[in-house]
Amino acid sequence: MSVKGLIISGEFGKVLARQKSDQPLEIGELLIGGTEKKILLQVTDLLYGSQISQQNLELISGISLEENSPVEFFDQNLRNYSLAVLKSLITISKGKSKLAKELPKFLSEIREVKKEDLSFITQPKNPLYIGKMRSGSKTLDVDISLPGKKVFSHHILIPATTGRGKSNLTSCILWNCLDKEYCGILVLDPHDEYYGRNDLGLKDHKEKDCLTYYTNNNPPPGTNSLRINLNIIRPGHFEGVVYWSDPQRQALHAYYKKFKDRWIEAIILEKPLDVSFMEGTMAVVKRRLLSLLDLDWTGERLFSNGIFTLKGGESTVADICNDLESAKTVIIDTSSFSGEVEILIGSLISTEVLRRYKNYKLNGDLVDKPVLNIILEEAPRVLGKDVLEKGSNIFATIAREGRKFQVGLTAITQLPSLIPRQILANMNTKIILGIEMAPERQAIIDSASQDISDSDRNIASLDIGEAIITSNFSRFATPVKIPLFQDLVKSSQQTDLKTSFTGIKK
Amino acid sequence: MKYAHIADCHIGGWRDPQLSDLSIKAFELAIDKVIEEKVDFVLLAGDLFNTSLPAVDKLKEATRKLKQLKDNDIPVYMIAGSHDYSPSGKTMLDVLENAGLAVNVCKGEEKDGKLHLKFTIDKKTGAKITGILGRMGSLDKNYFENLAREPLEKETGYKIFLFHALLTELKPKNLDKVDSHPLSLLPKNFNYYAGGHPHFVHNEDMKGYGRVCYTGPLFPNSFSELEELGNGGFFIVENDEVKRISIKLYDVERISIGCNHDTAEQAEEKLRKALDKDLKSKIVTMRMSGTLESGKPSDIDFRQLFTEAKAKGAFAILRNTSALTSKEFEEIKVELSNPEEVEEKLIEEYIDKDSVSLTKELLKTLDTQKQEGETVYVFEKRLKDEIDRILR
Repeated sequence: MSVKGLIISGEFGKVLARQKSDQPLEIGELLIGGTEKKILLQVTDLLYGSQISQQNLELISGISLEENSPVEFFDQNLRNYSLAVLKSLITISKGKSKLAKELPKFLSEIREVKKEDLSFITQPKNPLYIGKMRSGSKTLDVDISLPGKKVFSHHILIPATTGRGKSNLTSCILWNCLDKEYCGILVLDPHDEYYGRNDLGLKDHKEKDCLTYYTNNNPPPGTNSLRINLNIIRPGHFEGVVYWSDPQRQALHAYYKKFKDRWIEAIILEKPLDVSFMEGTMAVVKRRLLSLLDLDWTGERLFSNGIFTLKGGESTVADICNDLESAKTVIIDTSSFSGEVEILIGSLISTEVLRRYKNYKLNGDLVDKPVLNIILEEAPRVLGKDVLEKGSNIFATIAREGRKFQVGLTAITQLPSLIPRQILANMNTKIILGIEMAPERQAIIDSASQDISDSDRNIASLDIGEAIITSNFSRFATPVKIPLFQDLVKSSQQTDLKTSFTGIKK
Repeated sequence: MKYAHIADCHIGGWRDPQLSDLSIKAFELAIDKVIEEKVDFVLLAGDLFNTSLPAVDKLKEATRKLKQLKDNDIPVYMIAGSHDYSPSGKTMLDVLENAGLAVNVCKGEEKDGKLHLKFTIDKKTGAKITGILGRMGSLDKNYFENLAREPLEKETGYKIFLFHALLTELKPKNLDKVDSHPLSLLPKNFNYYAGGHPHFVHNEDMKGYGRVCYTGPLFPNSFSELEELGNGGFFIVENDEVKRISIKLYDVERISIGCNHDTAEQAEEKLRKALDKDLKSKIVTMRMSGTLESGKPSDIDFRQLFTEAKAKGAFAILRNTSALTSKEFEEIKVELSNPEEVEEKLIEEYIDKDSVSLTKELLKTLDTQKQEGETVYVFEKRLKDEIDRILR
């Protein structure tokens, strides 16, 4: 058992320890204090300590620098050393844990954490594997899993600066829950990175039948091209997608009321209504619909160029919802769509999903259904303060009330501070990767499920793949090491099934 | 080049003796039209028969018409559909092929786990034709997934691909729970994709592919199809122009009556009035819905009303009263749209709520078919393991 230091002073939440000279400590490192009743401690800050006065230290360094004279100390390790600020995380007694409420003994030893110390960390129900427990930059052989069903319905936030592993973490989560029967996941993928069209991806999972991929960029064999019939769009689907003036919104609803499924066609073909709207209002509505839905109008006929079609695509949204309800993962490649179109697609599906799940709850069938989660990249596009000030949208509704209906969001962002505090607080699990910008760190710290007010430096110093999980479903802010997605894929064995083709003539 | 694309004839499909003759009659009319139009060849995109071993009387008529095509030097290129395919190989389509009346173009071989299809070349036109058969429960998906596409896509010339599957992208709303294949499973760069299986009409030039067509059935194969389509038809393709030929045997008179808050007598009167029109040589579809205020659906004298309608010359009268209920007693009525829905409704009615999902899962598992190449032992073990898992 290697002793790493001794508790020397401090207060609750800021215990000061003197580091043993040959046992370096790192920010975020986990330590154990006490013997019978152990206290799990974490290093939150590091500083220098010295028996020599500041004035003398300045003099000695001057001699070294100005006179080029080497400096040697008698009993070097006793005179100069490092100090660590520690925070008590939990108390462990007889393999059980509870929140720490006492200080470790004065002048007691602290040592590095071992796997056996963490035996209280057990596999939850419906486990969602996130990674291995981490102590500073060292990875411990302790699996960290969250209760998947609860975590997915109570929303997840993944904040990080670019390049800190957001995509890798999301890929790992998707990989780990692809074959799980407790969840269906919808991914709106603006970078087309999760399927793995040209690289390793979810397509390489042995349970790839649990994956449905929609793309309009030359769909690989077996995947779906995205085609949505105009008839299934309702005026409400544009909320949060396009900002209409009051008269424009009234016009949309008036056309829907009269022409039902064919309302968009009726607007573009300028079919008459029982009420009248200003010519300018209708011109703007028509122009915006044509542009957003990528339609052409020749004066007599309507043509569709994009994903919103006049023929086919009637069951696409229902198919996606059916897949999600069957606990599948559905990825929609939105890389070739404008932001507005991407959000409209998300809105169409999310509205239907929430409607169905509300019905299941009413009928008492919800308990048999898998939890649904919608993964939103660059979440402030739909959950940003400025966006929501102009009007709510389905994603904000899900963030507020989706939990009651087993529908959750996973919001991925570099800029969590743009998301209103009320929504951030509703994101009950945060998997925090490295964040360099102080205001962004503060937004996370202020809304975390555990008190991580002293983890500012810890968050700033998180390297690629290192994360801290704060969650209503974990006892303490847990440091984890996320595996590299490529390693995860390579470690899973694929078995090729023998195929035969009866009925094919020679 | 001029050819006909016919699919889903379902010869022998109706149980009703009067209607069961109509599918073969529709086939006869279609072949007459094909000969009259002097097409170069005929494509049959699956489900010529409603079963792999059809009744002899129907078979006799069908072979007579196919012989007429042969005599007129019009070759027939076909694939098996989900109804007339047989995993044991006992299908009448093989007999037709051996007799030289049709060519099964679903030809190829397996190399390194991949299915390499061969083209059948039409001697007259040089058209290169191939395709993949259709199987129940989308078991043909495996064929598409393991298809060696590149040689098919690189082949030059006028190419036709026959398939018998519902394409996901074209699936109508009411079929959202039906198995389908994404368009991307079809090989690209064919001139014409002759589809069968779903009973709706579609004709579209699809980006990266070619013209993808479903003819719909040659004659409607169910009550709802009669209501929706009225009659069947097929396509004639000439110089890439697709023309639909309608096969009309009888006019369809659609009657739909809402009976909410009516008594059984009032509902009967409504039906009597609705039938009081020229029904000569018509097929009448009669759908009644709603909840009767008093009396039961069985109080309505359908037999008498239908006898009167028949006396006026109606060819056939079909009724659907599955959505007609009574306040007096609640009998389980199920819209007979598909067996799965009937099954689901009955389970929910008869089994306590906690066991519904278990029952559904068990039924689904017991419905599992033996996979290709799977031994009986392995199949049984797989089934037992799965049932163990469910019951645990």
